[in-house]
Amino acid sequence: MKGLLTKWPFLLGVIIVLAFFVLKFVPSGHIVYERDYSQTFRSGKGFVLGFTPAERVDLSQTLPKLIGDPVYFSLFTPRTFDTAKVTIVYQDHLSSSTPLIEMGVLKDKVARSYDLQPVENKTLAALAQTWTKIGTSNLMLLENGKNYSDLKSFQADLASGALKDCPSGSSTCLATYNYAPVYNFTLPGLKTSAITLAEPLRGQHQFYVYAASSTLDLAFNFVDMNQDAGPDPITVNLYYGAKMIDSRQVADNDPVPASGVAVEKKLALVEKNLRPGVYKAEIKITDDTVIKSIQSSSDKLVFINHLWPVSASGPLDLYTDAPYLLVKAFTPASLQTLSFGGQDFNLDAPYQQYEFDAPASAAPKEIRLNRDDVILDSNSVFSWSKDSLFNPSLKKVDNHFAPDGIKYILADYQAPTEQNGWQSATRDFSLTGSDRENGKYSFLLSVPGLKTGSDDYLIIKDIKVELQGRSLWEKLKALYGNK
Amino acid sequence: MEINKLVRGIFYWLSAMLGVFIVMEIIWPNIILAYFNLNWLVLGVLVFGLASLIKK
Repeated sequence: MKGLLTKWPFLLGVIIVLAFFVLKFVPSGHIVYERDYSQTFRSGKGFVLGFTPAERVDLSQTLPKLIGDPVYFSLFTPRTFDTAKVTIVYQDHLSSSTPLIEMGVLKDKVARSYDLQPVENKTLAALAQTWTKIGTSNLMLLENGKNYSDLKSFQADLASGALKDCPSGSSTCLATYNYAPVYNFTLPGLKTSAITLAEPLRGQHQFYVYAASSTLDLAFNFVDMNQDAGPDPITVNLYYGAKMIDSRQVADNDPVPASGVAVEKKLALVEKNLRPGVYKAEIKITDDTVIKSIQSSSDKLVFINHLWPVSASGPLDLYTDAPYLLVKAFTPASLQTLSFGGQDFNLDAPYQQYEFDAPASAAPKEIRLNRDDVILDSNSVFSWSKDSLFNPSLKKVDNHFAPDGIKYILADYQAPTEQNGWQSATRDFSLTGSDRENGKYSFLLSVPGLKTGSDDYLIIKDIKVELQGRSLWEKLKALYGNK
Repeated sequence: MEINKLVRGIFYWLSAMLGVFIVMEIIWPNIILAYFNLNWLVLGVLVFGLASLIKK
C-alpha cells in the first residue's frame, strides 16, 4: 500500500506531464484537431474556437447557425505547422442569391487578406450540368458549346489571345473561379500620360496601372495619423501577373504610436525595362494611415475591389463597371444620398453595409458621393475619371455572376460530398507565412450575400483540421545540422 | 486508517498535479486548458482535502 501511495502516483504524474509535453511539441509533426458541435460536453476548451462576431451566429440550438457574412473561427495550435487540411461538415439552407461558400486562412493581418478556397459553388455546379466539361477537378474548362476538345489547345489559344468564338477579346467571354490563367492584357497603341491622384484614401488599397512604355514611376505620400496603438509600417508591392517584381517598405519607428501627431511619409518606385502591360500595386497599410496622394507616370490607373476616400474637400465623382456596390458609412457624418449609375440610393445608417444594384447598362457607371469616409466595395474596379477606367480582370463566378456573353469558364473546383443530408468539403491550406497570433491561426467562413435577418442560414456540424509540419527530428536536424 | 492515508495521498497528488499544470499553463498558454478544464482538478483537490479533514 505504501508503494502505491508513493511510487505509482509519482510515476503516473510524470507520465501525465510527459504526455502534455508530447502534445505541446507534437514530435511526429502530424496531429488532428476536431470540433464536433453536436457534442455538448467538452473536457477542455478545445482547439477550434469561435464563431465570431456573435451577431452573425445563432447559438440558440445545439449546432451553430451562421446567419451573416463573414464569420471567423480560430485554431489554437501548440506549435507552428506548414499545412492544414480542413474538413467542414455543414448543411446549407441557402437560397439562389447565396450560391457560394468559401473558407480561408488569414495570411496578412495588416492587409486583412485571406487565402480563400471554395467550399461550394452552386452556380458552377449548375453550369457543369448543362455546359460541356473538359479536364479534371483540379482544372476544369466549362464551355457553352463545343469549340475545344482538350485543355491544352484552349490554354494555347488563351495565351495567344485568340480564343475561338471570342472576337471581342478573352476578357469578354472567359470567366474564372479559383484559378488565375496565364493571360496578358494589352491595350495596343495606347498612349498614357502622368497623373497625380490627390484624393486621400484610408487603409490598404490595390490598383492596376497600365504601363504603355518600358518605364513606370510611382510615388506615394502617406500620413500616419498616429491615433491607434501599434506600429504602422508601410509596404508597397508591385506585381506583373502573379510575380512580385518590386517591394518597398517604410518602417514605423515612432516611439509613441498613439501620440495623435500626424507624420508624413514618402515612398517611390521607379521601374525600368518593363514589358508593356498591366501591373498591380498592393499598398499594405493599417487603417491608421492615409494615402495622401499618388503620382503615376500612367493615367490608366484603377483601384481594385475596394476604395475608402477620406478628407475630401467636396463631392467625389468616381467611375466603375461594377453591377453592384457595397457601401458602408464609417461615421454618422457620412450618411447621405449617393448616386450610382444615375440612380439615387440612401445611406441612412452608419457602420452597416448596404448593397446597391445599378440599373443595367454596359457603359461605365458614375458614382457621386456627397460626403467622404464611405467604404466602397465591389467585384470590379474604380477610377477617378472616365478615361482612366479599364478592367483587365477576368469575370469571376461569384454570387453576382451572370453568364451573359461568357462562353468559357476555367475553374479549380471540387464539389463537396454528401452523406445523410450533410455536405462535407475538405480543402488544403498552406500555413507557411500565415498570421499566427497568441498561438492561433485565424480562419474565415464566408457566404457572400448572406445577411442577418434573411431566411438563409448555414448549419455547421463539424470542423476537423489535420495539421502537418516538421517533425522534432527534422527541426533538430535543421537546427544543428548546419553547425 | 488506510483509507484516511489514501484520501490524503490523493489530495497531495491532485494538489501537485494542479501546481504542475498551472506552471505549464503559465509557460505555454492553453496547452492544458485546450484538453482539460482545470476546474475539475480544483474540485477534486477541494473534495479530497475536505474528506481528509473529516476523516481525521
